[in-house]
Amino acid sequence: MRSDPRDYELIAPGNLRTVVELLSRSPGEWLPIAGGTDIMVQYAAGKLPSRKLVSVWNLPELRSIEVLPEEIRVGAGSTYTDIREHEVIAREFSMLARAASWTGGIANQNRGTIGGNIVNASPAADSLPALLAYDAQLILVSVRGERRIPYAAFHTGYKEMRLAPDELIKTISLPRKFSGYVCHSRKVGSRNAQAISKVCMAALGRVAVTGPSETIEDARIALGSVAPVPLRLGETERIVNGKIIDESLVRLARKIAIAEIKPIDDIRSTAKYRAAVAGNLVAEFLNLLADTKGMNRVLARWNNAPGDTAEAQILPCCGSKRWAHEMAVRRPFNDEAALILASDETWRNLDEADWIEAFNSHPRIGETKRQGETHNSDAWSRPEQEKVTETGNAAKIALAEGNRAYEEKFGRIFIVCATGKSAPEILEILQRRLRNDAANELQEAAEQQRQITQLRLRKWLQG
Amino acid sequence: MIHSSENHVKSEISFTVNGEQRVVRASSMERLLDVLRGQLGLTGAKEGCGEGECGSCSVLMNGSLVNSCLVPVLQAEDANIVTIEGLAQEAQLHALQEAFLECGGAQCGICTPGMILAAAHLLSKKPDPTLEEIREGLSGNLCRCTGYVQIFEAVARAVRRAEIASFS
Repeated sequence: MRSDPRDYELIAPGNLRTVVELLSRSPGEWLPIAGGTDIMVQYAAGKLPSRKLVSVWNLPELRSIEVLPEEIRVGAGSTYTDIREHEVIAREFSMLARAASWTGGIANQNRGTIGGNIVNASPAADSLPALLAYDAQLILVSVRGERRIPYAAFHTGYKEMRLAPDELIKTISLPRKFSGYVCHSRKVGSRNAQAISKVCMAALGRVAVTGPSETIEDARIALGSVAPVPLRLGETERIVNGKIIDESLVRLARKIAIAEIKPIDDIRSTAKYRAAVAGNLVAEFLNLLADTKGMNRVLARWNNAPGDTAEAQILPCCGSKRWAHEMAVRRPFNDEAALILASDETWRNLDEADWIEAFNSHPRIGETKRQGETHNSDAWSRPEQEKVTETGNAAKIALAEGNRAYEEKFGRIFIVCATGKSAPEILEILQRRLRNDAANELQEAAEQQRQITQLRLRKWLQG
Repeated sequence: MIHSSENHVKSEISFTVNGEQRVVRASSMERLLDVLRGQLGLTGAKEGCGEGECGSCSVLMNGSLVNSCLVPVLQAEDANIVTIEGLAQEAQLHALQEAFLECGGAQCGICTPGMILAAAHLLSKKPDPTLEEIREGLSGNLCRCTGYVQIFEAVARAVRRAEIASFS
């Protein structure tokens, strides 16, 4: 039966101190509510045990993400949106950002919080295996002070946790020690959005080159929805660490993993299916590690190349030497997503002169000879302008005229992300942009170059 | 201690709805959805599932897409709320509304207000989304009529039109 709002009381003190004092005055009486994505569901169904609620939504002390040299401190009141949009988390803890993007839909990501997800303690929560794999720690707060515990020790049984009735989770700390690790995360369910996982996994590890063969180092495998709590597969990890990955090891790991989990039959899936999927996911992760394709081969080689080689290799993707330098400095990157994020960030922070250098490395649209002498990006430009070069003479002439008018007005060549665009489309864009003022046009050209660079990076990684 | 319904005190909660300052008397745990529909007569937001799964009660709260069935009204205090009723400018429909009409993006209409607000939220963050981004932006909004294709087309059409408009 639906709840009657008049039976409930919700207060919103607006600061953490008052909330914590309230929790300590009558422990267990007040239920903290953040974005309500779980509590309001129980409330609507008449299943909420508590009649008194205290809002912790949007408390400034809980909603910040602090990047420190050794760790990232994520306020427990940070939403999934806050997490997936945070550039450092997306780069260094990409499995957590991905899990955030799998949770609910956009509206739930705007309201659901990481702290709420932890105390709600669903064994199927998408973000919790990532916290396990990344060795997250929790900072709990009460009037008695703060204490820090490993997240791995927090959930002790189904919906049971080491949280005193007067305590709140304040911060989730992520240690920044996984650079160079290969990561692999998966959600297996009916669909990503609005569907709870049948099985989810977050796993990372390193391949060390010791002698002629590659062995696994520090595998960290965590699964959701296969036990009463999110589960780290300690036995499986012990079996694979220090070993060379081959078929027999993968077979053994699959067997141990299935023995380690305790899946159940429920409305979403069966124990048998979950066990099979869990085994498959572990095998998939090990195979990824084995051919180090979890880390793209091009990326892996580039990560290890000397600085000047790395700069020279990546330069044609953009054309700006400073961009290439900063990208090389920011290595290593775990995956394509991290590389692209860093590229976007670096590009936006460059000066106008760097942008112009990149623009000048392109041939005029409709031509195949570049302007500047910084390097050769002609090989990239040809397939990008493929649809343009199929064009008839009349359009070519119109383009050439447009280019001239553009160069006269703005003093540099016209940059457009040409991939997939036909000559008439480009002509239309060119004519529109001719009406821009200088400042707007610079921004627009830079945005086009950013897109071109992204496409080139993606192609580059494909080898 | 259980509060009895009889002596329950309602509080005054104020927020902005579609640009207008409003003050309501409500129990703090009343759902924003019920206050919008029941007290303010804004029936554009629909109750579908009532548990944050379907998106038909979507509204914008401080520019952020939320399911109003999961927002206790006290948490909307001082917020800036936009419902589907606030999207059109007088008689001029919003570009998304026009595009939904043209593409057949609305059939029975239950999901439509939420779909359009989810699309508006997406475009506020990504003015030039890819099809994949449109699909993800609307993935929390369920439609049982259209099969989604016309809805995605409508959003893409509104994007193209906005691009043309902003440069002409």
